Amino acid sequence: MARTFAGAPDFPVGAKISLANPQLRSNMARATRTIREKRNLRVSELDTWEELRVAGESIKRTALARLHELLSTFEKNVTEAGGHVHWAVDAEHARRIVLEIVQATGTKDVVKIKSMTSVEIDLNSALEDAGITAYETDLAELIVQLGDDLPSHIVVPAIHRNRDEVRDIFKEHMGEWGLKAPDDLSNVPEDLARAARLHLRERFLASQVGISGANFLVAETGSVAIVESEGNGRMCLTLPNTLISLAGIDKVIPRFEDLDVFLQVLPRSATGERMNPYNSIWTGVTKGDGPQNFHVVLIDNGRSSALDDRVGRDALRCIRCAACLNVCPVYERVGGHAYGSVYPGPIGAVLTPQLNHVTSDHVAQSLPYASTLCGACFDACPVRIDIPKLLVHLRGEVVDAKRSFVPTTQEQVGMRAASWIFARSSRLRGVADLGAKSSGVLQGRRISLPGWLSGWSKFRTVPIPSRVSFATWWHKERGVQGESRVSSRRREFRHKNARIEPHALGIRRDIAPDATLNQANARDAILSAIRHANRAQAEQPPISRSYRRAAREETIDIIEHFEERVSDYQATVRLTTSEDLASAVSTALSSRQSTSVVVPSGVPREWLSSFAGTVVTDDSTLDLKSINAVDAVVTGCTAGIAETGTVILNSDSNEGRRVITLIPDHHVVVIRAEQIVPDVPDVIARLDPARPLTWISGPSATSDIELSRVEGVHGPRKLDVIIVRE
Amino acid sequence: MRISLFVTCMNNVLYPDTGRAVVTVLERLGHQVDFIESQTCCGQMHLNAGYRPEGLSLARKVIDSFEDADVVVVPSGSCTSTMRHLWADVATDELDDGLVRASQEFAPKVFEFTELLVDVLGVTDVGATFERRVTYHPTCHSLRSIHVGDRPLALLRAVRGIDLIALPEFDQCCGFGGLFSLKNPDTSAAMGLDKIANVVATGADVLCASDNSCLTHLSTLAKKSSSLVPGYQSDSVHAQPNFEVKHIAEILASTTAGA
Repeated sequence: MARTFAGAPDFPVGAKISLANPQLRSNMARATRTIREKRNLRVSELDTWEELRVAGESIKRTALARLHELLSTFEKNVTEAGGHVHWAVDAEHARRIVLEIVQATGTKDVVKIKSMTSVEIDLNSALEDAGITAYETDLAELIVQLGDDLPSHIVVPAIHRNRDEVRDIFKEHMGEWGLKAPDDLSNVPEDLARAARLHLRERFLASQVGISGANFLVAETGSVAIVESEGNGRMCLTLPNTLISLAGIDKVIPRFEDLDVFLQVLPRSATGERMNPYNSIWTGVTKGDGPQNFHVVLIDNGRSSALDDRVGRDALRCIRCAACLNVCPVYERVGGHAYGSVYPGPIGAVLTPQLNHVTSDHVAQSLPYASTLCGACFDACPVRIDIPKLLVHLRGEVVDAKRSFVPTTQEQVGMRAASWIFARSSRLRGVADLGAKSSGVLQGRRISLPGWLSGWSKFRTVPIPSRVSFATWWHKERGVQGESRVSSRRREFRHKNARIEPHALGIRRDIAPDATLNQANARDAILSAIRHANRAQAEQPPISRSYRRAAREETIDIIEHFEERVSDYQATVRLTTSEDLASAVSTALSSRQSTSVVVPSGVPREWLSSFAGTVVTDDSTLDLKSINAVDAVVTGCTAGIAETGTVILNSDSNEGRRVITLIPDHHVVVIRAEQIVPDVPDVIARLDPARPLTWISGPSATSDIELSRVEGVHGPRKLDVIIVRE
Repeated sequence: MRISLFVTCMNNVLYPDTGRAVVTVLERLGHQVDFIESQTCCGQMHLNAGYRPEGLSLARKVIDSFEDADVVVVPSGSCTSTMRHLWADVATDELDDGLVRASQEFAPKVFEFTELLVDVLGVTDVGATFERRVTYHPTCHSLRSIHVGDRPLALLRAVRGIDLIALPEFDQCCGFGGLFSLKNPDTSAAMGLDKIANVVATGADVLCASDNSCLTHLSTLAKKSSSLVPGYQSDSVHAQPNFEVKHIAEILASTTAGA
């Protein structure tokens, strides 16, 4: 049975358990430091960073304010493009929908891309109960699954494991799930990545059903975008005939062009890269290319009720980059498991209590307090979620949920006493003087505070009040002023001690779980809850696109810039002319010992005229085994981005089906100089959202082991880019 | 200039020297300081703990008390942040439009001590002498909420005789976090001990900051749990901390070598 977070202790206890694990603490300290430095470096390269954050915030605000309309538009566009959209009110409902789709195919196993939404709805347990095996294919999720563990990070779920632990887990458990790990497996991340590649290759080739999450749903086109590194994502999105993408309803964005913000901020925030190796963006079903049976499951599961919280709704802007985890001093010390929830760290501390309801359990109630409010999370957030403000708000909800006329807890008594003392300066002075009198007696003693206050004295001495408080000193030395002067003043603003509206969670409109739920009434229930939550939303201001100014364009040769950035990823770049192209292609192939090559039908024969090896042309009927048997693939491309070192394929006749650029271990891409644009915003207008788009930035890679980047996992391990400039 | 001191409840009871140091510096610069005796607490503890109505009634009391003040100086980054941002945020949360407006009108006259010196009074050299080895910890609220930037360092650099050492990982939280120190004592101590290790690494004998709350956490932690700091006792027999904590105002007030 897959492990879940059910029954986890509350945060202070979970934290204490984690803190007692020195291995965990050193793994976490090293990993978070690495990722922080990488992120800061990549962010500092952009002079538009703050403008991008503002735009990201503004796009997500707009999306949430128009959520009802955008989800309907998305549904319509997916359906028109040959996909199916399902609506799930809660986790149970989502599990049922997925299970029905999987069971209809008759398969007994599915391949999965890392998806926190899948963990949120505990999909693997449901599949297991139904006799269906779910194979996690992301390296970190594989480590978690093989180790019968739980994810501890949103982007790098096995961040709590070091390379030795990963090797041991692979050696011990890979055989239970399929191909076993080599007996002499080392702890070198490259070797570990190779073991994962071998372990999963046959699984991918045989897969019937793929299950993914989604990074972005584009309403105006019905497109789904997934960013990843290893190529396991591309495998799951391309090879199975049936694809199920799970997405929270908060994942929708209005326009395709909005991706030019998120595809800049997400990779830099998440893994500290200018661009992650692969972005897949597709719309519905493409005949002859990829899954012919495509389903999107839109999941509410508490989101529409979070949307109904004026402050808390800001958490729904989250794009799951985990930058807030990586900078959080609390997360760094205790790791993800201490949070007892699927979403750990600062964003988890505001999301979990809202998705699970603050009043629901002791874990949810402890999470808003799992922060010092230091503010590092807010500064790092690419969509400017003011997490400290949300935490304070949720603390208010926790306190209000427990309020009673007579205080019952020590904390309530203490807080009430403090407000009584602070209500008048004479009382505070009285308490201070009392403290001052005892000052001499207390000096030098070891004091242990009782009950609730013992949290202080457990590790600390107790500060002793001064012999004379400041107020008393001033009163004696400088005479009376102030108190009398002000007390006669009229107070100009309204005094209010009673709460105007008990907007605690009691008034939230939750969608009742209902065994008779069907698609039609689930859709209506979700949309009506969203409409209700957005009843008071004002018109959103237009989105500022000031980040699109291309200041570098004039001073930098973009071809050189592109060359430099592609090379940064350990890809090889060659500059040639159309006359010498055939020899450049041949050199690229032979330099990597590639002796057989597949090409899409639209690639001109001349490109391979100097190549002496075997050439197979893909007429879209080549089977996977034949593609798997060739060494390399040669294609053209649609566009290139200099700043991020990216080439983009849109699967036309010159680029081929997505599968042929994925399975061979060596990819040679030919790009014409005029196809290269300076930066991400410049490329968006050149793309056709109706085509399946694959963005490639370097060979497949992973940072899942100690956050150190290793080239070569499931996608091609060797990438050569040939620039043709006349 | 007439400057009203909001001393903060903590300084009032535990650290009157900090309040006196603020008075000393400002008077030395030729300004008149007044202390409105009806003041108590800005409400930060209640507000950050989730006790919204209780905290807001303290906010109202401060706004009332300081109605006549032109400029309010606060020797605390976190209390300044509370008065400048938190009051309005929580009042918004509580749908108290009157208090939101009153907080927003009040905020522009509130200055953290180093902000007041550098931005309002335009000085960085306040005529101080302090001949000791000092390191400065920028507290989270002064760094990330009110953005004091390098103002405190500019003031410290101008102190005669000071040996100012940069604190490694200065931007990391010390782990105090108000109620966090009670509710999550283990995590709070773990963070504090890492901060203490960094202070020890500087060899400074004085740790200063703009918040006595964070300094209290670190000094009391060092007294009781210093044996848990890696390397802390490696080259000496110190079982007690070998650095003392001081509010930055006390360094800026010093005109002797510094005791």
